[in-house]
Amino acid sequence: MKTLLAFAIASILPAVLFGQETSEPIRILKEKIGHEPKKIDFAHDIAPILKARCAECHTNGKYKGSVSFDTREDLLKSKAVAPGKSAASELVKRITHADTEKRMPPKGAPLDAKQIAFFKAWIDQGAAWEPGFTFKVSAYIAPLNPRRVTLPPGEGHPIDRIVGVYFAKHKIASPGIIDDDAFLRRVYLDLIGLLPAPSEMTAFQLDAAPEADKRATVIRRLLQTENRAYVDHWLAFWNDMLRNDYAGTGYIDGGRKQITAWLYNALAKNKPYDQFTRELISPTAESEGFIKGIKWRGNVNASQVVELQFAQNVSQVFFGANLKCASCHDSFIDHWKLNDAYSLAAVIADKPLELHQCDKATGKFAQPRFLWPELGTIDAKAPKTKRLEQFAALVTHPDNGRYTRTIANRIWQRMMGRGIVHPVDMMANRPWSEDLLDYLAIYLVDQKYDLKKLMEHIATSRAYQARPAFQTKEPIGAEYVFRGPELRRLSAEQFLDAVWMLTRTGPGKAAAPVGLQPFAESVPMERRLIRASLVNADALMRSLGRPNREQVVTTRPDQLTTLQALDLSNGQTLSDLLSRGAASLLKTYTKEDRLIEDAYRRALCRLPSEAELTTARGIVGSPMTNDGVADLLWIVVMLPEFQLIR
Amino acid sequence: MNRREFLAGMSAAGVATLAGSEPRAAEPISQPQPTADTCILLWMAGGMAAPETFDPKRYTPFEVGVPEGRILCTFPSIPTAVDNIRISQGLEHVAQVMDRATLIRSHHVADLGNILHSRHQYHWHTGYVPPQTVACPHIGSWIARVRGPNNPAIPPFINIGQRLEGVGESEELKAFTTAGFFGSEYGPFNLPFPQDAIEAVRPPRGMTRERFETRRERFRELLRQSPLGEMASDYHHESMLRALDNAHRLLSSRERRAFDLTLEPRAIYDRYNTGRFGQGCLLARRLTEAGARFIEVTTEYIPFVHFDTHENGHTTLARMKREIDRPIAQLILDLEARGLLDRTLVVIATEFSRDMIVEGIPGSNARDQSRARSDTMQQMIHYGLHRHFTGSVSVVMFGGGMKRGFLYGETAPERPLIVTRNPVPIRDLHATIFAAMGISPRTSFDIERRPFYATEDGRGQQVQTLFA
Repeated sequence: MKTLLAFAIASILPAVLFGQETSEPIRILKEKIGHEPKKIDFAHDIAPILKARCAECHTNGKYKGSVSFDTREDLLKSKAVAPGKSAASELVKRITHADTEKRMPPKGAPLDAKQIAFFKAWIDQGAAWEPGFTFKVSAYIAPLNPRRVTLPPGEGHPIDRIVGVYFAKHKIASPGIIDDDAFLRRVYLDLIGLLPAPSEMTAFQLDAAPEADKRATVIRRLLQTENRAYVDHWLAFWNDMLRNDYAGTGYIDGGRKQITAWLYNALAKNKPYDQFTRELISPTAESEGFIKGIKWRGNVNASQVVELQFAQNVSQVFFGANLKCASCHDSFIDHWKLNDAYSLAAVIADKPLELHQCDKATGKFAQPRFLWPELGTIDAKAPKTKRLEQFAALVTHPDNGRYTRTIANRIWQRMMGRGIVHPVDMMANRPWSEDLLDYLAIYLVDQKYDLKKLMEHIATSRAYQARPAFQTKEPIGAEYVFRGPELRRLSAEQFLDAVWMLTRTGPGKAAAPVGLQPFAESVPMERRLIRASLVNADALMRSLGRPNREQVVTTRPDQLTTLQALDLSNGQTLSDLLSRGAASLLKTYTKEDRLIEDAYRRALCRLPSEAELTTARGIVGSPMTNDGVADLLWIVVMLPEFQLIR
Repeated sequence: MNRREFLAGMSAAGVATLAGSEPRAAEPISQPQPTADTCILLWMAGGMAAPETFDPKRYTPFEVGVPEGRILCTFPSIPTAVDNIRISQGLEHVAQVMDRATLIRSHHVADLGNILHSRHQYHWHTGYVPPQTVACPHIGSWIARVRGPNNPAIPPFINIGQRLEGVGESEELKAFTTAGFFGSEYGPFNLPFPQDAIEAVRPPRGMTRERFETRRERFRELLRQSPLGEMASDYHHESMLRALDNAHRLLSSRERRAFDLTLEPRAIYDRYNTGRFGQGCLLARRLTEAGARFIEVTTEYIPFVHFDTHENGHTTLARMKREIDRPIAQLILDLEARGLLDRTLVVIATEFSRDMIVEGIPGSNARDQSRARSDTMQQMIHYGLHRHFTGSVSVVMFGGGMKRGFLYGETAPERPLIVTRNPVPIRDLHATIFAAMGISPRTSFDIERRPFYATEDGRGQQVQTLFA
């Protein structure tokens, strides 16, 4: 089907020529560059010339002679280019014009033979363009400085006051809030990654305090008393982001270093986020693994040396900025330049760092400079530790709103299913509410960078406690309108932790080299387990989406795939787990209905209906069998109601 | 199993995919007409020495005191079914089918400054040298992503013979044995033990088929009874059920019999059975008949084992050739007898070659990793190609639109045994494989808003003369 679709799309578009015969421009190129030219690549061969020689007069609002090079469509509309026919194209005629009055570009030297040959070959090959690329500068410019928002008048939670204005503007009826059972399940999974125990559900139902108060109490308890569970849960998030693991590529030969012990303690102490960041960037021996990157033995592409990994990782994690393109050449998708990436890399470089464009040395050397020099400078002459210290201070600079917005957006995305800016690593995109994002960023600063406070603030809002916004398809880009939290899929770790709790199984010991936090006395026995985040990824966990942590990963895939479903349907790991779980449940329960109700409560945080109970009785058997109970457990954990956070 | 029903399911999945969060095709491109519908990659893991297999050189028998530098290869050559092609002793069965083959002696791989098998394997399998800023997809995932399944009941990317747990460098192997940014829908279906392949497509051990089907029925019943409300219309919910349906269809399809080697007549099974690799070739044949898209069968990479000869190379190669010779030839003959060879591209490849002296290429700063260093031959342990050589590698292709009995490229007759004519780097070799599979080497997908190409930066060029 996909093939058919691909062919169908292809057939309605001009075919790109793949001919083997040698055309005139190809012959010239061959002479100029000494070998058979490759296919012309717009991004690398054409865009730089357009940018340097044509952009000033023909892009971004200035269209001399009504010729616009902003997009391929504009170029065609201006009749500057006839794809497939370089000889007939105005652009070629003008850059090769004998009359200097008519030749383009009017200023500076004419294009050289190689550049002209590039243009001809590019047009002959169909004049392909980078999809979505435009020379027009985006209408939205993400601000740098923080902004204190004046709250809309009225009562209630500040988040809800801001969201209330947003709803009114978009004519959206405020969604009602979810009931206590659903709330409890959601907030447990979001804040500590586990399902509540039945005893906790009962206590919550019996709590006679006003609804808002009792919910606030639970939220606070999860973030404070349940510190162990909180750390275990958020460890996976940070491991993904800081590409930290207990086994993996690079550890084999010392080219990579764990930061697990430092990270675990930082989370356990709820280290303020600014301090947390500074310790990662200007590190001690314990926390240096993140900025050291992964060093491979042997030669590495210039854009992938550890210094540039540093530039890429730091800007992605802390600013939601993508410097991967700019590590190789000036970015075509945003305003970052090669020099920006190298200037960051120079902060950590031990030796003068030579700029390489597309893996070729340029003879220029990078000077340490921050992405936003208006916030301050880095002393190129200072020793490395000092430079890192200065850099860390700029990252966490009070005027650096990009830094606080980025983390506030990440936390919002984790709890609500979608960021205020989407995707979370493109913080230059327009947020659906600037007020909300700016408010949350300032709130974090006001709370002395306490991430738990930010989580608590979000969780206590009606926006968080609202009914989910069901989506028939994934909203794309600007179409998105906030209507409430999205459904989210359990992460691999959440899924396994839940199954382990349900079946009273789980790993014996942690692989993470950390001194585990003690459990508070109030934590029910069944929740005192070694969590999936603390052990090495196994085949099932990997299948369910726990990543190889070689690159920074900030979000997990949110849809179940066929191969994953296969592992869930007939994989031996899960099957054995459920079978052992069934045996242990049979020791606890002698009555079918009690066992069924217990499974439903633990897995779905609700009791089965009469109809469900009847069906389930047929499954467990009478008398109950191990196979029957294992089948019931499998069915329950396969239900989307179980696998989704609602 | 109802094929139409399955297709309907898959096409719905396809549509959902387009709307989903995974990378979209970046640039509509005219895809070439495929000359093959299935690709089988026979992976000689650990660095198969070309001079000991498909590119024999002057033979120097073992003798105490022979200087190391005199030895180019340790086996005599033998004639093949093609007049101008000789290959190495020990490959007599393959020699008989060389008239169905295109032999490329001029493949070469990057010198990465330091030989690390998993890194070169990463490069070969993804087309990109690690590290990369994004998780690169395996070539099988590219083919799965662009061509989709051949028969929807067979996963489009099947990986046979490589254990990913409990072997050295397994973390590094996992780094490229993945669909990367395409997401696990296009990831490898791993079958490390061919004899147990059937286990992967039948109910878990200890569960009867009847119980398995009943469990499924009851699942649907409880799903119907659960209070879904609006949630039923949500795409997360819908895609979850669709994935479970797809998995169930595979597990109850008739095609899953293809995974069961015990259904093969004993005589034929024996012809293949030289060990796990031979069984893997048989499994690949059965899966090809059932409609697989991409299959890799590996001799298995384990550091210092099999083709990874750091010492005792001659003896090890004699054993390895026994392991691969009959099954490869049988696979070609069986595919041909079934009329499948024309549309099945079989590729024998490896991450690099080996040499007695040179580590990497001449002038490389790669560290010498031989474990049996000796200026002259003293014991058999010294006799073999114990250095990793990147300057020329042999690749064999059968069927799938390639020429037959065709020799391409040439290497020097004396050390260094580098390519002297028609060099074929990884990106052009990949472009050739992709082209045969109907995929332009410039096919690209948007990842993090930039295009990512099937061959490095879209620059791979197919070797047109190899096509029949």
